[in-house]
Amino acid sequence: MELSDSVVKGLQTLADPAYLDLKSFTIFTEAAFSSLLSFPTGSVFDYPELKNMDQSLLKHCHIAATTFILEGVKQNADRSTICSSLEDLKFDSERVDAFYMLYQKNKTNLEKLLSSIDGCPPHITDVSWRLDYCIKNSHVHKVNQPSYLISFNTESGDNNGASSKLNFSCTLEQLQDLVGKMKDAAKSLERAAQL
Amino acid sequence: MLLVLSEEQKEHLGFLSDVDPAVVGEFGRIAVEFLKKGSNPKIYEGAARKLSVPAETVQHGVEGLMFILTESSKLMISEVDFQDSVLVLGFSEELNKLLLQLYLENRKEIRQILSELAPSLSRYQNLEWRLDVQLASRALRQQVKPTVTLKLHLESGDTQSARVLQTDPATLLHLIQELERALAEVKSNHCRRILRNIK
Repeated sequence: MELSDSVVKGLQTLADPAYLDLKSFTIFTEAAFSSLLSFPTGSVFDYPELKNMDQSLLKHCHIAATTFILEGVKQNADRSTICSSLEDLKFDSERVDAFYMLYQKNKTNLEKLLSSIDGCPPHITDVSWRLDYCIKNSHVHKVNQPSYLISFNTESGDNNGASSKLNFSCTLEQLQDLVGKMKDAAKSLERAAQL
Repeated sequence: MLLVLSEEQKEHLGFLSDVDPAVVGEFGRIAVEFLKKGSNPKIYEGAARKLSVPAETVQHGVEGLMFILTESSKLMISEVDFQDSVLVLGFSEELNKLLLQLYLENRKEIRQILSELAPSLSRYQNLEWRLDVQLASRALRQQVKPTVTLKLHLESGDTQSARVLQTDPATLLHLIQELERALAEVKSNHCRRILRNIK
């Protein structure tokens, strides 16, 4: 894996037993993984074992570790790639094992997170509907037609996952048309999945 | 239900009994045309020159016909009620028949045009779809992520718009299932009872 000097330096600090013992290293690494997967509300390193560390150095190590993790997940790095990269940075075998265990445990969730980052169109997550019977309006009397209000819930990746709704109305025939076309798509998906 | 015509409208339409029924037929055709495509004042001037009357008189005549057609289409009045309504204008029997014919022939289309004026959300027009498998992105390489891209065409009044959306296979199946429930609901006993009773 290609890593910048700053990341290499941060990781070398993490490898140094004089700076962090194995227990603190494990706690630190766990905190680094969970800081990627959840929005930390307080300090990332709110642990008694990490309280006495130089906080600015700890921050540097955090950036280095998270960069390394994200780069690994991004490239779908396997065990040998991760382990040999860490060994090159003078990590002892216990630290390599501890790191790899956490990497393996969190990889799937991190992949999901990374795959959700792109400028793709709003993603439909759900639909709600309402059935009305239109009786009359100011322009036409005796309409007497069923009418549907459809509301697609969408989430947009651009907007930090902000959800919004897309509302539209359709007649019974139009809804049948919409569902028919969606079924065509689903059928094609099914066929494609069997290839 | 009868049409209610104001004195002014009766006066405007009175002009039609002075001209040849063929001319009224032509005015009727123009009135329907204007309802479909919007009015064009140039036509009034041309017709006024031929009949040697002021353009305003022609305009009032055509607008009167447009009112009769839209109002009776809006209320969906019956043949008998239509005939009774135009009786007050004192037209010849031939002319009354001609108007009735005009009403019956164009009612469906005029109601269609009027229904577009009703306040409503954007209306569904069409759906296009595309299947993709996402293979890589800047943030993540080596993916196999099936995606369904949907382009939803909507119209609102005169403006048409399209929205591009995406979803995943599981959600697509869920959407279909949910919308099929919506379609099934209109056939339920509850809905059928209401639909039968509101006429």
